[in-house]
Amino acid sequence: MTSRPAPAGAPTPAAVPAPSAPPAPVRARGLRLAYDQRTVVDGLDVDIPAGSFTVIVGPNGCGKSTLLRALGRTLTPKAGTVELYGRAITAMNNKEVARRLALLPQSPIAPEAITVRDLVGRGRYPYQTLLRQWSASDGAAVREAMEATGTTDLADRRVSELSGGQRQRVWIAMVLAQDTDLLLLDEPTTFLDIAHQVDVLELCARMHEAGRTLVAVLHDLNFAARYATHMIAMRDGKIVESGTPHEVMTAENVEEIFGLRCRIIDDPESGTPLVVPLAGRVARG
Amino acid sequence: MSGRKDASPAIAEAAVATPPAPRPDDPGATDHLRVASLVLPWNRRAVIVIAVACVAVIASVVAALTLGKLGVALPDLLSVLSGEGSKTQHWVVFNNRLPRGLVAVGAGAALGISGAIFQSVTRNPLGSPDIIGLNGGAAAGAAAVTLVWPGLLPAPVGALLGGGIAITLVLLGAGRGFHAPHRMVVIGIGVGAMALAFVQFAVTRTRREQAQEMAAWLNGSLSARNWDHVWTIFVALAVFGTAALLLSRGLQLVEMGDEAALALGVRTQRVRLAAVAVGVVLAAAAVVVCGPIAFVALVAPQLARRMTRSAGPGMVAAGVFGALIMTVADLVAQYQPWSATLPVGVLTAGIGGVYLAALLTHEWRRGTL
Repeated sequence: MTSRPAPAGAPTPAAVPAPSAPPAPVRARGLRLAYDQRTVVDGLDVDIPAGSFTVIVGPNGCGKSTLLRALGRTLTPKAGTVELYGRAITAMNNKEVARRLALLPQSPIAPEAITVRDLVGRGRYPYQTLLRQWSASDGAAVREAMEATGTTDLADRRVSELSGGQRQRVWIAMVLAQDTDLLLLDEPTTFLDIAHQVDVLELCARMHEAGRTLVAVLHDLNFAARYATHMIAMRDGKIVESGTPHEVMTAENVEEIFGLRCRIIDDPESGTPLVVPLAGRVARG
Repeated sequence: MSGRKDASPAIAEAAVATPPAPRPDDPGATDHLRVASLVLPWNRRAVIVIAVACVAVIASVVAALTLGKLGVALPDLLSVLSGEGSKTQHWVVFNNRLPRGLVAVGAGAALGISGAIFQSVTRNPLGSPDIIGLNGGAAAGAAAVTLVWPGLLPAPVGALLGGGIAITLVLLGAGRGFHAPHRMVVIGIGVGAMALAFVQFAVTRTRREQAQEMAAWLNGSLSARNWDHVWTIFVALAVFGTAALLLSRGLQLVEMGDEAALALGVRTQRVRLAAVAVGVVLAAAAVVVCGPIAFVALVAPQLARRMTRSAGPGMVAAGVFGALIMTVADLVAQYQPWSATLPVGVLTAGIGGVYLAALLTHEWRRGTL
């Protein structure tokens, strides 16, 4: 991190981490992210704390999924740098990156007729070569990933036959089989009912407890606050606030970010902040 | 959640701790073939299906050598093949039937592999080279350099250029490249029609006897093949079929979507471009040796996928099934009782048309078209 090109027009100076803090596994500086000509994010700096369960929240179209893609190098920034454990991610070999960082996209496509076991096995690609397309450690990693996600019983089923909740656990098993310390999940709970959302988030919490650094984009603020150890709130391609759920989830912040007037109370179950929107005229009766 | 457990152990540690011995309750769809340091995943069912199909291909080539008035009887076949036998037998086998059978095998395999590549890249069974105008373009290219501007370029080069131009037009016309497969199908049908119109135009400029030959080639014909055709298709297969095999792992991952594949370390854009180039060359090579035979590229990969019940492009299976369809279709075309000279392409078009109609109906219902 000695000679980082100063991002043009980015006023924020690079945050200097406290000397005792472990190095951020992912660190981005001066990011400009765009699809074709449409700029979504400009001049953004972000650090993902080591060992955290970081959740990125923000209104639709604020650039949170775009940011996640850039951190997972599936989107190349127009400007700025992303560093993985202190090395520029663009300078690293693709498979080398994939052995350190796994990303589950929002809507991956399950190939026709693929079985659960085969899909999970595809997470092992970064460890394989043309001549050694499978090894004992591949088999063990697939088995462990299926056990950790409770999908062992589904191993021989076709992915297309599964329910939404089962399918999401299978995809998570695939990225788990990638055996990385860093896991990026793009809206892993979207399209799931509330019980399956909790199911997936509990699974994420267990992966976090097992020592991984997680970064997830979530829509549900209350779930985000309950499971996150670190939150990043975005609006219009900018980070408005980041910190612990208690620091980020204030009534003022929620109103600034989402334009929603609300009260914040303590979640009676977990003690984490809980957003309660103010009642509208109709609801108030 | 069925397997609710407490905090799962770190995968890395567990991977080391777990004995690598295969467990009896692990009856994988995938086994692994070990040859020295080479470890390849394989699917038992797929291997059996492919083996059976290979035997069937050989059987139909043998049938092509032995059937009919001039056919060499089975007991004599080996001696004729090893250079003995009468002059007539020798002539029938080496100048007529063997090249024809081998061209059928090679062209069928090339079309099957090309179809598997394009169906994988477009994630759509309709995205095969015969539907999206590639075969038509190759035919137009070959017609251009043989009939309209004779001697300008060798026919294979013309076919390759024609195929390349057709696929470029389809990609440009679809706008978003490979991200809108259904648009590629619609535009491809248009490009294919334009290409065939050009071929018809070329035919009108030729003398009558040449035009008749041209018409047979345009339907896809295996009559009067020689060893040049055999070498053309098998050299193309050896080089580009191997390339397709090497690309198939990457393609398999690209089927999960660009983002998922990129995240796993696949250079999606590069894999896709290389695969398309290989698919164009294979389809063009098949068109050069036997004309734009319809529907083999569409049907073979589909049949292969269903029979092997495996996911992914399955290049080997698609190739073997392409060869099988082609050799069987040519046998039927030769020995059917209705017409003395039925080009094989007419037959594949007839059967393939029914399949296409069924597929279109299915896709329409699924809403993918």
